[in-house]
Amino acid sequence: MENLFNSELKVINMGLEGFAETLKERGTQVLHVRWQPPAMGDDNLLNLLDKLK
Amino acid sequence: MKGANDVFVKSYISHNTFRDSVYLMRLSNTVRGFDGVEEAEVIIGTDHNKKFLRSGGLWTDEIENEAGANDLIIAIRAENEEKADKAIQDALDELNKSVERDNLQGDFIPRTFETALQNFSGANLALLSIPGRYVKREADKILDSGLHLMIFSDNVSLEDEVELKKKAMEKDLLVMGPDCGTAIINGTPLAFANEVKQGIIGVVAAAGTGLQEVSSLIDTLGEGISQGIGTGGRDIKNEVGGITMIQGLKALINDDNTEIIVVVSKPPDSTVTEKVLKIAKESKKPVVVNFLGGDLDQVSKAGCEPAATLKEAAYKAVNLARGKSTATGESDIKVDQAMLAEEKDKLKNGQKYLRALYSGGTLAYETMILLNGKVSPLYANLNFKNAETLEDVYKSKAHTIIDLGEDEFTQGRLHPMIDPSLRNSRIVEEAKDPETAIIMLDLVLGYNAHPDPAGSALEAIKEAREIAEKDGRKISFVTTVCGTDEDIQNRSEQVDKLKKEGVIVLPSNTDAAAFVAALLAD
Repeated sequence: MENLFNSELKVINMGLEGFAETLKERGTQVLHVRWQPPAMGDDNLLNLLDKLK
Repeated sequence: MKGANDVFVKSYISHNTFRDSVYLMRLSNTVRGFDGVEEAEVIIGTDHNKKFLRSGGLWTDEIENEAGANDLIIAIRAENEEKADKAIQDALDELNKSVERDNLQGDFIPRTFETALQNFSGANLALLSIPGRYVKREADKILDSGLHLMIFSDNVSLEDEVELKKKAMEKDLLVMGPDCGTAIINGTPLAFANEVKQGIIGVVAAAGTGLQEVSSLIDTLGEGISQGIGTGGRDIKNEVGGITMIQGLKALINDDNTEIIVVVSKPPDSTVTEKVLKIAKESKKPVVVNFLGGDLDQVSKAGCEPAATLKEAAYKAVNLARGKSTATGESDIKVDQAMLAEEKDKLKNGQKYLRALYSGGTLAYETMILLNGKVSPLYANLNFKNAETLEDVYKSKAHTIIDLGEDEFTQGRLHPMIDPSLRNSRIVEEAKDPETAIIMLDLVLGYNAHPDPAGSALEAIKEAREIAEKDGRKISFVTTVCGTDEDIQNRSEQVDKLKKEGVIVLPSNTDAAAFVAALLAD
């Protein structure tokens, strides 16, 4: 846990933009990922892709 | 297209447009308020969401044939075609405005974790708030890249949680969550946390608003927090084995900046309790344990400081941090008798029931414990040994405690801490019942919460009062405000606003529950 408690927090935020915005406003280093559902949100295609892995 | 009941359902598809779910739920709320609109959704066109629109009667051929997962759907049911068209145009204007306001504008915004990692070396924590069914895929990549993880998302399977936490443990990484709403790491509040002073008290909690309440009270008492680790509510089940709670506890024991440790949760499953207390017993640092409603003797026997309430946990930690005895009695519950008499005077004979409308699950749970055996019959939408389950969660019965943050209220809606509108209409509903004596509310402040929960609640309280007064009744409004003066909403200002309108505000949820118990006592 050393690399978490004893170093500056650097956050990758995936999902709700508001979480990245508040961190940024506070001066925390943050990179927001504008995440979108994989396989165009097609659950059947995603299951297929997962099986191929 | 003509929909049910002679109203118009119209849609607009904005291709290759994406916004997150909280933004879209907010926008949907705005659009529902437009003139002539009966129902509206602004939503991404995933299969799941399309099923939701179809079942809700917001369905058009255009949605069926043209909307995909990379597209944004505006679906409107309005009283006529003109109003539907106008609502769509206004919704598009709002969407465009949001692009102009975008606080992250100008920043590089990657679309995948892999790209983010390549461009952000030294990242040490990922915060995930994506739909639960996609969490495992992303979380695996995050842990494999050596990052700690906070999972805000719910709807992650227990099996996935166990797998992710075992993987993290092997890598000495922390997985906070799933369903972890709050954490404070190195003084940084994450997701729904409060702005608290940094200090020497470390907290590990399987209880979201429990962590918010304890850390805020510690701040108000003048001390501060080193780390606030959230575990997610299921961590303390046998199946998960308290992996995160144990990792968190050990990390706080080894953390040079932490001198006092607080553990907050519902009573864990027995094997988890034993493991946690065994580690706490071996710690050279004092450990305050608040297993809400749990066995205090078991905690004492493990050499820990037992706390029966969230307030007691905060006071004991603060006294230990100051090298003082924990038996000062400061956390004893004292009810202001003058205030109690004044509130009792308001109530007529037929007014006998409590209606507690909570947004914080742990706060609601603490109130259930403190009222246990004191009020009966008690109904709730939470699992508790001595409470009856409400048949219809939208309809209170006798004494009722409702957690409006539970899934049945939040499917497709914003959490009541962000959008109190559902609770506000419930306040008004409760006022219509001549048997309602007390309406109890928690106002939870902090990042990402509503900017003015007191102001919002007061609008409903005023309407509720008018209804009651027309009927010759007065209702007692009892509240607690969870947060600090450093929060964007400013606790003192929120408290003043409520008190100015004659609303009772107690310093903690524990005090509020005790006040209500006294008010209901014969």
